[in-house]
Amino acid sequence: MEHPILFISVILDWIGLPVPHGPIGATFLEKLTAPYLTYSWMLMAFLFVVPKLTLGKLELVPGTGQNFWEALIGGLMDFFTEHMGREKARAIFPVLATFFIYIVLANMIGLLPGFMSPTSSLNITLAMTIIVWLFHHYLGFRQHGWHYYKHFMGPIPLIAPLMMLLELIANFARLISLSMRLFGNIMAKEVLLGVLFTLAGAYFAPLPILCLGVLVSIIQGVVFVLLSVIYCVGAMDHAH
Amino acid sequence: MTYSDQKPKKEEKGILTDIAIYGQSGMTFSLSVLIGFGFGWYLDNKVFSGWTAPWLSFIFLGFGIAAGFKHLWDLSRKFAKDDD
Repeated sequence: MEHPILFISVILDWIGLPVPHGPIGATFLEKLTAPYLTYSWMLMAFLFVVPKLTLGKLELVPGTGQNFWEALIGGLMDFFTEHMGREKARAIFPVLATFFIYIVLANMIGLLPGFMSPTSSLNITLAMTIIVWLFHHYLGFRQHGWHYYKHFMGPIPLIAPLMMLLELIANFARLISLSMRLFGNIMAKEVLLGVLFTLAGAYFAPLPILCLGVLVSIIQGVVFVLLSVIYCVGAMDHAH
Repeated sequence: MTYSDQKPKKEEKGILTDIAIYGQSGMTFSLSVLIGFGFGWYLDNKVFSGWTAPWLSFIFLGFGIAAGFKHLWDLSRKFAKDDD
C-alpha cells in the first residue's frame, strides 16, 4: 500500500531529520521521529495550548470556551461518580479523564488527511494500558493495604493457590485485550481509510467510513475509559 | 434533578457499560486460554529447556481455559447481582 502523506514527517524530512520508512526506525533519532510519536506530541501540545487559549481566566458566567470545558469535565465527573461514588471518582478522575480526552482526540485526528492516529500504534495503546493496569493495582493496595491480595484468592482457602493462578492469567488477559482492542479498531479504521482514499478518493468512497470512524473513535474512547473504571472499581471493592 | 429526567440518561449509560463489559468478555476469554498456553510453553521450552515438554504447556493450557471460564462465571454472577 502506498503509505499516506503525513505532513509532520514531511516537515521533519525537509528540516533534515531522519524519518523512519518502516513503522519503527532503526536509530534512536529515527525512533523519536516515528509518526505515531510526533503526532502524539502534536496532540499533547494541542491539549496544552487549546485549553489555555479557550479557558483564559475562569469566570463565574462562562463564555463559549469555558462552557465547553465545563460540560466535558462535568459530564466525565458525573459519569465516574455514577460508577463509583464521589470520593473514589475524585481519586481516579485526573488519570482517566486525561486518557479519555487524549484517546478521543487521538482517534479523531486520524480522520483528517495528512494526520494519523497515534492510537493506531500498539506502542501507544500498550503504554496507556500498562499505566491503567499498574494504576488500578496501586489503587487496590492503597485502599486495602496488604489485604489486597485476598482479591486474588477466591472464597475458599483450599483452592486459593489455584484461584491465584487463574486470577493472574485473567489479569494479564486484561492487559492485552484492553490494548489490542483499541489498537485493532483504530488501526482498522486507518488502513481502511487509506485503502479507500487510494482506490477511489475522488468519488467520495471513504465518506461512509469517515462517518463510521467518528462513531468508532468516540465509542473506543468511552469503552477504554469505562473498562478502566470497572477495573478500578473492582480493585477498590471489598474482596468476595 | 427529578426522577423523570434521570431515568433515560441512566439507561443510555447502561447500554454503553454493557457494550464495554460484554464486548470485552469474548476477547478476555480467548486471551486467557492463549496466555495460559503461552506461559506453559515458555516454561517448557525456555525455563526447563525442553525436558518437561509438552506437559507444562498442557497443564497451563488447562489453567488458561479454567481462567476463561472463571471470568465468565464472575461475569454471570455480577449480572445476577445487578439484576435484583
